[in-house]
Amino acid sequence: MRKLTPEAKVGAEFTGKTKTISETRVFAFSGGRFDAPGWPAKNIHTDLEFAKSCGLQTRSVSATQYLGYLTELMIDLFGETWLSHGRMELKFIAIVDVGDRLVSKAMVTLKESEDSKTKFSLEIWCENQRGDKVVVGTAMGCI
Amino acid sequence: MSERKERSQFSDRDGFEPYPFQVTPELNEQYLYAVQDYDPRYLEWTDAGSPLVHPGLLLNQSNLTRSPSFGLKAGMAGVHAKEEVEFLNPGRVGKKFRVTWRVVEEYEKRDKLYTVIEALIVDEDGREIMRRRTHGVITKGQK
Repeated sequence: MRKLTPEAKVGAEFTGKTKTISETRVFAFSGGRFDAPGWPAKNIHTDLEFAKSCGLQTRSVSATQYLGYLTELMIDLFGETWLSHGRMELKFIAIVDVGDRLVSKAMVTLKESEDSKTKFSLEIWCENQRGDKVVVGTAMGCI
Repeated sequence: MSERKERSQFSDRDGFEPYPFQVTPELNEQYLYAVQDYDPRYLEWTDAGSPLVHPGLLLNQSNLTRSPSFGLKAGMAGVHAKEEVEFLNPGRVGKKFRVTWRVVEEYEKRDKLYTVIEALIVDEDGREIMRRRTHGVITKGQK
């Protein structure tokens, strides 16, 4: 993964790792602690009948699970210091289902000098195996 | 633990009971498995201290559903629509954290009531770790 550098130009694109969201990884993320009695907990992410009872067509993967993918991309780009100043604003625009394959992407939209640092604004998103965006938004960070 | 209250919406302005949790190495590794991110920063001690807590874990643990006083009637679930996240400091494995929530805004869009909940995670040393604003909507099954 190449890092963002002050030389990066507006329009530069970056791609994170592709993640296949298996059922066991959904259980690990949304089913509670492994050692909890009755694991995995039943909820809209882990149990189809539960999801249907709430009016959903399918189990939806927790949005925070793929926010985790986007934070991984941001830390790859900006380094660990992003965890002390980074920001993201996101809209969830499609359901993510168990078995989907997501990839996180980012594109530089603005670059500004600020003191001795370079501040970047990015357009960020995740898209699925069909190329459809499932979450879109912006991120900010400095290097 | 206080009695779980049933709510028809996220509109309780009396506040939600805070959620304390500790991140053990095992819990962190559960989330590393879930998001497929085994970067050494989440597993190894450094001069700065214990491994970092994966941000996906912090996002998931700060969902409002974690509040001991949060509850919804059967057949109802909360769904994420938008998210704003500020990363303030990295969390460290072994630390205890506390999440607090407050309702900051309600609005209607396409005949649905959205509620904006602000969550703040603070660690046992009083360091603010993450602040997020989640725009959520309730989905209901046919009953």
